[in-house]
Amino acid sequence: MSSESTGKFQVPLWRILVVYGLLIAVVGVLTSRLITLQVLGGQNWNAQAIDNYTNTISDPAPRGIIYDRNGHILARNVASYNVVITPAALPDDDADIQHIYRELSILIDVPVGGPVTDASLDQAKLFAVCVPGPPIADMVALGDSLAPYSPVRIKCNIGEALARIVSERSVDWPGVSVEIEPIRDYPTGSLTANVVGFLGPIPASLETVYRDRGFIPNRDKIGYSGVETSLDDILIGRNGLRVVQIDVAGQVLRNLEPPIPYVAGNNVVLTIDTRLQKAAEAALVDEINYWNTFFGTIRISSGIVIAMNPKTGEILAMVSYPTFENNRMARFIPGYYYEQLIDDPRRPLVNNAISGIFPPGSTFKLSTATGAFNEGVIGPDKIVETPGRLVLCEQFSPNDPCTERNTRPFVDWIYERNGVINEAGFGQLDFFHCIAYSSNVCFYKLGGGFEEEIDEGLGIFRLGEYARAIGYGARSGIQLPGEEDGLIPSPQWKRINTGENWSTGDTYIASVGQGFVESTPLQVLMSGATIANHGKLMQPTVVREVQDSEGRVIPIWFNPEDFSLYQPLEEEDESGNFVRMWVNLANPTRKLRALPEGSYQISPFTPNMKWDITETPKIQIWDCEIGYCDPTGNYKTVETSTVEAVRTGTRLAVTEDLGTLHDIFLEDYPLPIAVAGKTGTAEYCDDVAREARQCAFGLWPTHAWTLAYAPYDDPEIIILAFAYHGGEGGTVAAPIVARVMQAYFELKSIDLVQSPGS
Amino acid sequence: MLRDISWRYFDFWLLGTVVLATAFGTTMIRSAVAGNEELLPLINRQIYFALAGLVLTFLVAAIDYRYWMALYRPIFIVMSILLFSLYLSAQAVFGAARWFQVGVLFVQPTEFAKIAAILLLARYFDKTQNEPRDLRWLLTAFLWTMGLAIWILLQPNLSNVIVLMVILVSLLWFNGMQLKHVLLFGGIGFLSLGTIVLLSAFGVRLPFLQEYQQQRIINFILPDPNATFGERYNVDQALIAIGSGGLFGEGYGYGTQTQLRFLKVRHTDFIFSAVSEEFGLVGSLFVILVIVLVIWRCLRTAQKARDVAGMNIAYGVATLIFFQGMVNIGVNLNIVPVSGLPLPFISYGGSGLTSLMLGIGLVQSVAMRHKQMEF
Repeated sequence: MSSESTGKFQVPLWRILVVYGLLIAVVGVLTSRLITLQVLGGQNWNAQAIDNYTNTISDPAPRGIIYDRNGHILARNVASYNVVITPAALPDDDADIQHIYRELSILIDVPVGGPVTDASLDQAKLFAVCVPGPPIADMVALGDSLAPYSPVRIKCNIGEALARIVSERSVDWPGVSVEIEPIRDYPTGSLTANVVGFLGPIPASLETVYRDRGFIPNRDKIGYSGVETSLDDILIGRNGLRVVQIDVAGQVLRNLEPPIPYVAGNNVVLTIDTRLQKAAEAALVDEINYWNTFFGTIRISSGIVIAMNPKTGEILAMVSYPTFENNRMARFIPGYYYEQLIDDPRRPLVNNAISGIFPPGSTFKLSTATGAFNEGVIGPDKIVETPGRLVLCEQFSPNDPCTERNTRPFVDWIYERNGVINEAGFGQLDFFHCIAYSSNVCFYKLGGGFEEEIDEGLGIFRLGEYARAIGYGARSGIQLPGEEDGLIPSPQWKRINTGENWSTGDTYIASVGQGFVESTPLQVLMSGATIANHGKLMQPTVVREVQDSEGRVIPIWFNPEDFSLYQPLEEEDESGNFVRMWVNLANPTRKLRALPEGSYQISPFTPNMKWDITETPKIQIWDCEIGYCDPTGNYKTVETSTVEAVRTGTRLAVTEDLGTLHDIFLEDYPLPIAVAGKTGTAEYCDDVAREARQCAFGLWPTHAWTLAYAPYDDPEIIILAFAYHGGEGGTVAAPIVARVMQAYFELKSIDLVQSPGS
Repeated sequence: MLRDISWRYFDFWLLGTVVLATAFGTTMIRSAVAGNEELLPLINRQIYFALAGLVLTFLVAAIDYRYWMALYRPIFIVMSILLFSLYLSAQAVFGAARWFQVGVLFVQPTEFAKIAAILLLARYFDKTQNEPRDLRWLLTAFLWTMGLAIWILLQPNLSNVIVLMVILVSLLWFNGMQLKHVLLFGGIGFLSLGTIVLLSAFGVRLPFLQEYQQQRIINFILPDPNATFGERYNVDQALIAIGSGGLFGEGYGYGTQTQLRFLKVRHTDFIFSAVSEEFGLVGSLFVILVIVLVIWRCLRTAQKARDVAGMNIAYGVATLIFFQGMVNIGVNLNIVPVSGLPLPFISYGGSGLTSLMLGIGLVQSVAMRHKQMEF
């Protein structure tokens, strides 16, 4: 060896020391880095590690069921079946997988797909879940790369029979299974769609609110209309929550915290009687079709029927025609269908019974009559001259001179019929027959006064007071979204909104429910119900009670202002006394000591009286001098005799030969029960009419109104019918009311036979 | 030749630390693969390799290392053929092949090439110990190394080429490379490295680097805050594992990052992170300490070696363990770009462990013969 020949090579010590120094330096760097990571930054890393393995799983709560008053299901959850494949559970062997894919493909008609390539995966990524298109192999490959333990939906909404077959075969197909997804189902469909409503996804604007409440956007749904919206907090329940440990593939290993089970949504019983609803819909649609066929054109485009118990405020039927099919929105809201509904000028998505505002026409005369009688404008013995028309001058201020230019005729409905002019009109009428015959001339005089005969009419201010007292001019507070206020005009309103002074003519036509007066059909019904119920205005309601999943009735209060729902809670305070707290269902952690003003109980059912006009002072006293009036701030009630007088008038409308409802209830649809009511034929001019050039004097199109209640002495049912562009109330709307009335008493007798005890 | 064996100078400290490191490694591999059924056989396999390696250590220690010096030509030729055929098979499958499959074993010739390079360089420096340390001396040493490294570079496996180059530089340093040459080549190396990093950072494709290698450099120099998932995933999970270990760790078999498999390649490249998670700072420092002990015993053996060849073998093995160990830990701690070098004695890998045991056997052989005077 070479070492023997010459001196052995020696490494200088400093070279070795340099290497030792390097070793110490590197170890020092690594150690300091370790200390930085493990000792100084520990908390942060730990949190990230926990974040890695922690997953929260939300177990969806089943939504509450909606029943009608007889226990018929209006909304429920039905199973929808999806074929799913869990990639991690598939067999190891590719040939086995292919075999499963091929057999499944034949059954469910989804292609197997060729070899999975990047290109085919990119193609498959373009499809949303459940949208047919990508082949099985690509869908599974995509799912496998994301979360192999999460099932991938291969085909959605398969039939029950097919679901059973796949389910049975899946015993031999590891990884394949049938997933059951709850879908909202409305057995009564479009019949009750306007009241029940439909569901939709949580909108982006409410995402944080619902996320905080434990709901999952894109999975959980919320109400979009009807009681599905207004009672959403009752129906929606509370999702369960599991905090679990997962591994990197997403497989759930164990619960990290005790799981919180879901709380099923509570069930709601509505006041709607589906049978009456069906009868009402049939009567309405028949009548509309009859007249449209008669005229040979689609004249009546929409209509409304509402039936209510005036003593309790329970809405038994509420039909707004045309409507929509809420079952079509069950899985998702189809864009084309939604657009079709939105573009329809008849507004089928809107519940016109509460959201449509129309001139109430002669039905509004109940307000004028009540006011005029109560204020002593007319007494029971006073006879009013009622010629076919009045020629009156429009005065914008009390001193305006009456000239030919501002004088025009105000006609009665009887003035011109079938081309025959009737100058005499009704001749002479007392107060009761003014109502029974619905004499416009009489009500012009009562509302606006007339020369020497009626020195001072009711006037617009006092008319407004009485209209509001019997239900006009404000939302009723029913548990349905989208309610309108309607409009009771005042001189101030007119100056602000039209820039014109109030004229005497405005008062005349307001007295008969025309001009600026606008109301929802529900308000017209409420006005009738107040009179029918001897002055007591009941809170209209569609909710009878709320039950938990075991059928126990739960006490619930409802605030119509913001649709919040409250549950009472007895709670011990610091001094050991039990105090009643109110829990907002949308935010159970916040408890209130007092209910918000205007809230009322909806469950268990209690009739809620809004007010009794004979007892609650609702009529503000106005201080008037030569046409200028100021509110005094003092209130008074309506005399019982006034209400009875108006009731008498509505009864005479049926009993008197010339009464507006005489022919209908005593001849065409005779009933053995005493009926009373009021018709209305309201001239209108809206966009549709303006386009058709109908908005001209003498050509005005009219809406048909009729409301009737029975039995006269102690009314238990009041029914309102409205036909858009229906023509005369007594001929078009009244038959609908009569048919629904018949149906009501028929159903009542059936119920009595079936359960004689009650 | 076995007659002359004297086990008196066999370094039992070295053996002890190596056995300790390997046993600890096997234990850690057991914990690391616990969540994956497919990887479970690796535990026993590593034990077999460790036992075989131990036998190999004694066997090689018994043989005088100078015999290998005489066999430098066959060593070079056989190693070149192995690496060349690996390169050819890589060409056939259109990708990087790093191993031969021999039965159930995957043999990585690259690992053995490092030991071969140490032997070849030891012979070279021994032969030229009295020659001037001029550029010719330097270049010849470089060419010997490149003779093996070229095939590794073509695989391509840049990390192991760097390992070979570091061994070369280290041995040049010990064998008296002139300081002006150190400064000259150090400067050139530093400049070219800077250029590579700079060009990579600006997205210029370099012909001798793979795209993923450039990407790793970019990721290390300029971590993109938005790219947490793809490129930075492994390193981030390693940092979380190490960081959440704390002072004493989460306990053996209880590290969530390791057991729930958020930590990737946790039985090989990132086993240090698994140790750090389950045994904390104490465990991490223990691993570093054990490896430093091994390095120290090798350096000590080198200093006492009988001849230049023995000295170079010990220094070479020390450098190999030092560089691979520190780079691997550096990768785990995210202070070095991801390289794919295993942690010596701890990481799973039959070829790596066997070749290291081979190296340790050579060092033991040097240690046993360090006193010429004894007969």
